[in-house]
Amino acid sequence: MDGVILSPTDFVALLNHTLEFAYPNVTIEGELANFRVVKNRWVYFSLKDEVSSVDFFGTVYQLPGPLKDGLMVRAVGAPRMHTRFGFAVNLSSLTPVGEGSIKKAADLVRLKLQKEGLFDPARKRPLPSYPQHIGLITAAASAAYADFIKILGQRFGGLKIDVVDVYVQGDQAPTTIVRAVEHFNQMANPPEVLVITRGGGSAEDLAAFNDERVVRAVAASRILTLVAIGHETDESLAELAADARANTPTGAAARLVPDKVHELINLSANKVELVRLSRQLFDDAAASLSRDREGLDLQVARLFEVESQRLATNRRLVGLFDPKAALRRGYALVRKNGRLVKSAQQIKPKDKLSIDFADGKINAESI
Amino acid sequence: MPKTSVKTYEQMNQELAELMAWFESESVDLDQALVRYEQAAKLLAQMETYLKTAQNKINKIRAHLGA
Repeated sequence: MDGVILSPTDFVALLNHTLEFAYPNVTIEGELANFRVVKNRWVYFSLKDEVSSVDFFGTVYQLPGPLKDGLMVRAVGAPRMHTRFGFAVNLSSLTPVGEGSIKKAADLVRLKLQKEGLFDPARKRPLPSYPQHIGLITAAASAAYADFIKILGQRFGGLKIDVVDVYVQGDQAPTTIVRAVEHFNQMANPPEVLVITRGGGSAEDLAAFNDERVVRAVAASRILTLVAIGHETDESLAELAADARANTPTGAAARLVPDKVHELINLSANKVELVRLSRQLFDDAAASLSRDREGLDLQVARLFEVESQRLATNRRLVGLFDPKAALRRGYALVRKNGRLVKSAQQIKPKDKLSIDFADGKINAESI
Repeated sequence: MPKTSVKTYEQMNQELAELMAWFESESVDLDQALVRYEQAAKLLAQMETYLKTAQNKINKIRAHLGA
């Protein structure tokens, strides 16, 4: 290049060309300094050590969450010479490194999202008791995946499981997990529950599950979420934002579906109880019916008795009105021309009379 | 359409009550008394038959129900 005279623009273009070829991507670990966000979108910071400092430029969408100067971070990006602002690394991803920094970064995210109410217990929705369709977000080659599938099969089986294979650690983990959550939420027939899980690991391995983007995606999921990260003692922010959490992938499977053996035992006990209850119901109804029938029989019998007595009384009374009763006592009925004679004055000599006795009738003539 | 003349128990009861009331009145005509006495006796018999039949029917229903 000796003797070649370049314009500043040409030089910048030549330098960028060389950088692109020689260092398409660099990963730099250092202490965060001069961190600032402009217009809620553009991010400027430096990574420094005891001797040097490198400027970075990026957007908030590439950050794992709120950051503070002093944190140790690992930044991945493409080194570029800007036409006006000079040299900077164009950020593609950033993760805190070292247990202290990871914890501090996670605390910053926790504080921010807590204020927004993302971990509020009131936001939690209950998981279905017998889910049929599950969306699984994990590394398909991991022990976590194998454990989850195995325990799920042992406990219940016959479930539809859609799996999205994601990175569960490293720079790409947050974006792949977020994309997987979004993918399931955009499905025409989405699963009933999303399970996001991975096994245990170092604070750095589990950092993706404290990433603000991942935590927000879990909280925003329309599909119910169950997050199980790491071992018993690990607690990630993604778990806090989920509808339900479990300690391990195995725990997630156990939390998600009941044990079919216990279910069958319960079912059998319920069946016996159901038969007992229905039998009891019928016995009670039969006893009540029997009581009703006895009552009815009693009422009817009483009615007949009263009526029969009344009829007998009436018969005796009517018997008293029998005009023939007098004839039986020796009286007679005298008729002239068919009409009853009630007075001796009505009879003249030679009148043809008929006389009724109790036992018969005779014809007579008056004299 | 021929009119059915089957009397209810209530109607018979009413008729009997009227006949008995007539007998208890003071102006009883003997001819009428004979006619009405016969009517009353007939009514009583009918009512007794009615009660007997109803009781038989109840017994049959009870037997059918297995009481």
